[in-house]
Amino acid sequence: MTLPRLFLCTAAALAVGVLAASFIGSGTVLSLLTQATIYAVFALGVGLLLRQNGMVSFGHALFFGSSGYTVAILLQMQAVSAELAIVLAVLGLGALAFVVGLVIVRVPGVAFGMLTLALGQMVFLTASRVRGLTGGADGMSIEWPSVLFGLPASVLFKPATLWIVSWSALVLLTAGLAWLLRGRFGSITEAVRDNEERARFIGIRTLVPRAAVYALSASITAVAGVLAALNTGFISPESLHWSLSGVALMMVVVGGTRVLWGPALGAGVYFLAKDVLGDHAQHWMAIFGIALIVVIVFAPEGLSGLLRRLACRVLRRAPAPAAVRPAGAPRVAH
Amino acid sequence: MPDYVLQAEDVAIHYGGVKAVDGVAMTLTRGQIRGLIGPNGAGKSTVIDAITGRRRLTRGRVQLGGEDVSALNVVERRRRGLSRSFQRTSIFARMAVRRQVELASWKMGTADPAADAEDVLRELSLHTLSEATAQDLGYGEQRRLDLAIALVGKPKVLLLDEPMAGLSVKESLDLAQHLKALTSRRGVSVLLVEHDMDVVFGISDEVTVFELGRVIASGAPAAVRANPRVREAYLGSAA
Repeated sequence: MTLPRLFLCTAAALAVGVLAASFIGSGTVLSLLTQATIYAVFALGVGLLLRQNGMVSFGHALFFGSSGYTVAILLQMQAVSAELAIVLAVLGLGALAFVVGLVIVRVPGVAFGMLTLALGQMVFLTASRVRGLTGGADGMSIEWPSVLFGLPASVLFKPATLWIVSWSALVLLTAGLAWLLRGRFGSITEAVRDNEERARFIGIRTLVPRAAVYALSASITAVAGVLAALNTGFISPESLHWSLSGVALMMVVVGGTRVLWGPALGAGVYFLAKDVLGDHAQHWMAIFGIALIVVIVFAPEGLSGLLRRLACRVLRRAPAPAAVRPAGAPRVAH
Repeated sequence: MPDYVLQAEDVAIHYGGVKAVDGVAMTLTRGQIRGLIGPNGAGKSTVIDAITGRRRLTRGRVQLGGEDVSALNVVERRRRGLSRSFQRTSIFARMAVRRQVELASWKMGTADPAADAEDVLRELSLHTLSEATAQDLGYGEQRRLDLAIALVGKPKVLLLDEPMAGLSVKESLDLAQHLKALTSRRGVSVLLVEHDMDVVFGISDEVTVFELGRVIASGAPAAVRANPRVREAYLGSAA
């Protein structure tokens, strides 16, 4: 995507968010949309790791929950302003993930997934048991100030404002990633993902880019955690549990990672299924599980990949891989 | 004494008691193509692995442009101008052709990676497929892409491990001619491991013959072809 096109798409998506806030009168609907968007940001982080590193994390809730806890604890201690607490939570967790990543991204495949699971559960158990600091299993309330980033709490915590903030975060993060990944950082991480040994033989040190993707993915997930903390004003160990990482991973698989907005689409489908099916079926998760199997078997690139293929067919042009060989181009040299 | 671009001295790779390569010495001058031949398991690919740093030397040393690079890792050796391709096609399957060739050129510090990539892709007849995803290319095209990745950035030395493997006779001869022209124009020295004797004797300036991890003959193609020991050990009566 060219830069002007990216800019236009971003502006249009931001405008859609503002318009939606104006047209949707129901606070309940806006709250549901906000929740779905926050999980879309979470899924964007998990999806980035899969897309650029080819790695599956079962422990990204670690960053989702930890960012909320970091902000809550810093505010409780009155150590820094709320704005600085948010910045520290996002950047601090990113930096921590980079250091941890330098160790764990060396481990390939399932073992990496198990390491992330172990790390996530370690923090979950710690948060559950350190009652003095985290409130233990009961969780803790977040004492937001009356003014945050210049916005009075009475405005900020309205459903429409929270929706615009969450949606804008999702749009800007996706656009930022699109811009970042179209450059050298994207090329390097793709090369390392596809063929690590060959990447070394073209002069790439492969460890740092892998750790950087892990850190970036963690920071994005931390943003989702901060948004969730803003939305609910409460944090508990549930937000660190591995099952939440599993939900985010399901969203990524359903949405696909071929395009950047795939995980966000997966989050949308998940919440749609949860709220539509949940009204009619007690065990809606089982139905969603079947849908997940269908997607994996029949559309392994996820719904975004399927939509992309359909769009190409409708526009009467073949999907990208097939379209690039011009008619008559030689398969054999000369 | 000639100005050697690459100098391998007393190179040995031992696995316990097994001497995969032992006491190998060879040189490359600027723009020279040296063919490495020998039966399977003779140690040709192991020598390439030793020179590029993929395998640790048991003994000996490797000099690139007069600098001892024996202790450097593959990334540092590549940055100093030592490039290679692999016996099995080794490309970036899900990346577009141009994107990966440009990346390889950029990592070598080329001033204009886009122009360099375009130049190499054009010379290897891959420019019409530059936006294709590598995994969608035919086998021959993937082999040429593998070569393009190794060639960009103007390396000093190119080590090619069976670049013609799996290609048809016509594709092999075409690629060989391109290789000869490209390396000559770019001033790259080449160490070529290949089983296609027509290719090796057709484009090499010198040929080195391996048997059981040791060099048994080295010299001009005609002299090597006529060497009775080489004929007995590898070429046979058909040579």
